[in-house]
Amino acid sequence: MDGEDICELNLTDLAKLLAARELSSAEAVGAALTRLERLEGGLNAFITVLREQALARAKKADEEIARGNYRGPLHGVPVTIKDMFETAGVRTTGGSKILADWIPQTDSALVERLHAAGAIIIGKTNLDEFGHGGSSTLSHFGPVHNPWNIDRIAGGSSGGSAAAVATGIGPLSYGTETGSSVRRPASYCGITGFKPTFGIISRHGSFRGAWSQDHVGLFGRWVKDITLGLDPVAGFDGRDPGSVRQEQPTYAAHLDANVKGLRVGVLRRFLEEVNPEVKQAFDASVKVLAGAGCEIIDIDVAELKYAAMTSMMTSSAESAGVNRRWFRARHQDFVPHVSRGLAAGMTITASEYLTVQRARQRIREALARTYEKIDIIAAPTTGRVAPLLSDGLKGNGDDTRHASYNHSNLLRFPSMLGLPGCSVPCGINIEGMPIGMQLIGNWFADQTVLNAAFAYQSTTDWHFRRPALAGR
Amino acid sequence: MNTRDRLAHRLALLEGVGLSPAEIDSVVSEIEDFERIVIELEEFSQDTAWISLQAQPTGKKA
Repeated sequence: MDGEDICELNLTDLAKLLAARELSSAEAVGAALTRLERLEGGLNAFITVLREQALARAKKADEEIARGNYRGPLHGVPVTIKDMFETAGVRTTGGSKILADWIPQTDSALVERLHAAGAIIIGKTNLDEFGHGGSSTLSHFGPVHNPWNIDRIAGGSSGGSAAAVATGIGPLSYGTETGSSVRRPASYCGITGFKPTFGIISRHGSFRGAWSQDHVGLFGRWVKDITLGLDPVAGFDGRDPGSVRQEQPTYAAHLDANVKGLRVGVLRRFLEEVNPEVKQAFDASVKVLAGAGCEIIDIDVAELKYAAMTSMMTSSAESAGVNRRWFRARHQDFVPHVSRGLAAGMTITASEYLTVQRARQRIREALARTYEKIDIIAAPTTGRVAPLLSDGLKGNGDDTRHASYNHSNLLRFPSMLGLPGCSVPCGINIEGMPIGMQLIGNWFADQTVLNAAFAYQSTTDWHFRRPALAGR
Repeated sequence: MNTRDRLAHRLALLEGVGLSPAEIDSVVSEIEDFERIVIELEEFSQDTAWISLQAQPTGKKA
């Protein structure tokens, strides 16, 4: 098996070969680094590449596995992480000029757990500055390009992570999501992205976008890889105030494609402005779920009309608070669009913020009532495919300023409410760009969401499609 | 308070930050959006309970 073939392996298959010592970690890491170096000029997906460190860790992993000390499915596997996570001795920028040369002394909780699982971090991925954006064009280090068409955006803010997985630069990447920063880039880049219930993965040692909405999430080619990557990093961590006490994670062991009787809600009124090709792919995907035995139920949650604006206001106020000191001292060093957003956020008063939280509570209560009648909500992840870079920030078509049945509400409510959500590839449009479907579950119904995604991917092949850029 | 005074009051919260006139115009536009949104959300959430979250000592029970 040559390096190009190794890069085509998903995590599930790669882990088996590493455990059986039919492939070495040094080979897997070397192949991923070679592909990274071949494609990075077109993608700009990475801020820092850890070639020497990764190869040294891979050698150590091979020695451990040879001694019979196999740690599990991430042992020896090349992975990437968004440059939001602190790494001891390795610069951590947040995509910002402000921290362009900052080298932390300690690891984030995510990195601690990845190291404990034996994963090999080969690079830190590009992003919108401190996670403030949905395009991955708002980075001090330049925009991330979409691997399916480098004239298009990868989506953000975790665009570098999504582009890496889509092109086989490691089978797994970890990102963060405050509004839609895992699900959107997963959809735009034709891969699987999962954001668990709020508090499942510790955020300790990662930069804050907005603390009440920030989540750690992950990217893989299919949901089975997601579960293998989720188990080692999920769990309580007292250093994160939002962390929840939970049982030992066993998402991979409980992955089950039998979803007969699962009640799937569809919010049809929010789909009226969705691009026809996206809607067509989504409708076909709902039929696949129905074919798997799911009960499809049309629902209407009118309160969701206010979700995008509530999420945006919460995010604006909290991120202004988080960045207050840096903003006052160095506002000119922020990316201009981010700087303007922080300035506006700093003018939101306490009573206004609390009013927004009251609205958030009303939406939360409405969703809680809805989940008494259904198990998951299915929707297009985004209302359109990845826009052109030349379309600018309006290319995503988001409307976070008006109460309406705009699709943006469906994109924003899961993070605002802390609900688990998974985006799976569900089509390719006429221009060759991927389309995604998201499945959103009740609080702590992460396994239900993963199982539904697994059922879908067990009977479809969209997750096998690769951008031409990833070929030989 | 008229609109001009209200905006001036808000911009005073940014005192010490050297924003250019163009940046100030852009921020003012954002602020006007925010003010409209808060009015809408206030109306929307009128009958909803205010959230009360209070941190409790971990590991202790009454």
